[in-house]
Amino acid sequence: MLKILIPTLMLIPTTWLIPKKWLWTTTTSQSLIIALISLLWLKWDSEIGWSSSNIYLATDPLSTPLLILTCWLLPLMILASQNHISPEPINRQRSYITLLILLQFFLILAFSATEMIMFYIMFEATLIPTLIIITRWGNQTERLNAGTYFLFYTLTGSLPLLVALLLLQKDLGSLSMLTMQFTKPMTFISWSDKIWWAGCLLAFLVKMPLYGIHLWLPKAHVEAPIAGSMVLAAVLLKLGGYGMMRITSLLDPLTKELSYPFIVMALWGIIMTGSICLRQTDLKSLIAYSSVSHMGLVVAGILTQTPWGFTGAIILMIAHGLVSSALFCLANTNYERTHNRTLLLTRGMQIILPLMTTWWFMANLANLALPPIPNLMGELFIIVSTFNWSYWTILLTGLGTLITASYSLYMFLMTQRGPTPTHIITLYPSHSREHLLMALHLLPILMLMSKPELVWGWCYC
Amino acid sequence: MVAKLMSVWRVLSRVRLGSLSGIRFVSQTPSSGSVGSAAVSDLQPTRAQDSHGHAEVSAYEKNPDYHGFSDDPHVDQWNMKMAFFFSISVAIVIGGTFIHYLPDHGMRQWARREAEQLIKQREAAGLPLMDENYYEPSKIMLPSTAGEE
Repeated sequence: MLKILIPTLMLIPTTWLIPKKWLWTTTTSQSLIIALISLLWLKWDSEIGWSSSNIYLATDPLSTPLLILTCWLLPLMILASQNHISPEPINRQRSYITLLILLQFFLILAFSATEMIMFYIMFEATLIPTLIIITRWGNQTERLNAGTYFLFYTLTGSLPLLVALLLLQKDLGSLSMLTMQFTKPMTFISWSDKIWWAGCLLAFLVKMPLYGIHLWLPKAHVEAPIAGSMVLAAVLLKLGGYGMMRITSLLDPLTKELSYPFIVMALWGIIMTGSICLRQTDLKSLIAYSSVSHMGLVVAGILTQTPWGFTGAIILMIAHGLVSSALFCLANTNYERTHNRTLLLTRGMQIILPLMTTWWFMANLANLALPPIPNLMGELFIIVSTFNWSYWTILLTGLGTLITASYSLYMFLMTQRGPTPTHIITLYPSHSREHLLMALHLLPILMLMSKPELVWGWCYC
Repeated sequence: MVAKLMSVWRVLSRVRLGSLSGIRFVSQTPSSGSVGSAAVSDLQPTRAQDSHGHAEVSAYEKNPDYHGFSDDPHVDQWNMKMAFFFSISVAIVIGGTFIHYLPDHGMRQWARREAEQLIKQREAAGLPLMDENYYEPSKIMLPSTAGEE
């Protein structure tokens, strides 16, 4: 664990002491080496349980894929931001990279925490660098509103979580995840127990987000700069899913009845946000709503509390993280050239940037869950799991799959095909950096096809 | 007292809260202050700058081999080399090899091979592939009905 944490922390002196010329080169290289070392976490020593170096930080098959995704994403964020940050003064560039590194550090601590309070503190701590990134480096005036929504939605959801965790600590004596899985089921009789149940889950539902409390997401994703959008879509949403999966082992008998409205909201959200995607004019907003749609499936999968549901949730979280981040990077390549996100104004790009079309095509195919890409595997597991929960969900999930395919196709056709507006025929060609960025997003997805058991989690044995 | 208030006001009015909170300073004149130098092009269409600060000149003009990393061609080339090397050759290739040779976690691949081998063996011997009872019936100890209630 320390072999990742110390190099990550030492990235901060690197950013501040490196001469200006080599800042981006060294931070990219060092963060890639950290990403390579993070793959060591995949060597699980025990069968299905935790691999821990000390009692505070441990990894298990649920947290390992998310940790590796976090470590992989830092170099990708640095690559993506290099272009739009470079005109700024050097100290501001260094501060930006420092914020990304701090975010990475808190995320690693959050996913590897063995104690729920530490997870909670890191969960909250990730809000601060993200807020600073959105409100300081976002491009439009709406970024202040977006930051406010982001901060206060998450904080309002997580205050009940703090109270619930403290109550739990009082009753159980310890909130260590290592022992939480072996607690005897608790008796829940009173109304306050049910409110406690809701308090445990609300923070994570807001973070996922669940449809209905998802309003912060389109704002935050759209107004954030590219690195902010990437980390939000790829990792921060998954904090919610991870937290839910950890805490549900304690909530058990209540969840059978109480999860009913949340599963229904999640499934309904897939349809609604998918339909909203079809009517979006802003490209980043379309990708943001597509994130809500996929996370709705994840929420439904987790709340069904079955092995297949959990497995599907983990697979979909990892696959969606990479693909959604890829789509945001693609939208950013358009934005850096044309300075607008309107779909109508950046059409017909295939003629101008044909190589980028390949990446658009692959990313959109992955987004619509084309077999054999892991997105499909995750979605199928969850669809089967919810079908087992109730037969009627197949209508919602099936329709949701159809709408997902149609808005992904819509996104591809609107940006790549069609008449090219005359004002963008002189765009400069794609950079090697952008091609590398896209390749680094999509290659792990393709490689996961050959060894999916890395992301099946600890339920599917 | 009015004089005191006026002096306080003179001090306060010099504090520029805008620069403290880093609000973008949209102005048409180039300013040397740190706030103004990060001018955003979409707030100032008249200046017509792109995200490089190149003022509509593509970076490919000065450096036909521009890779997208930096305006300095030497740094650009080395950044490209380092990024590609550490990402593809190191992280993906070496990492992928490491993952490929990971031990068989949970004995899943062993279980598959074992099952196939057992099936082949039992089919060859003509035995049934699997007993239909999960537990052996003779080993189940049922409580006698007389002792109930």
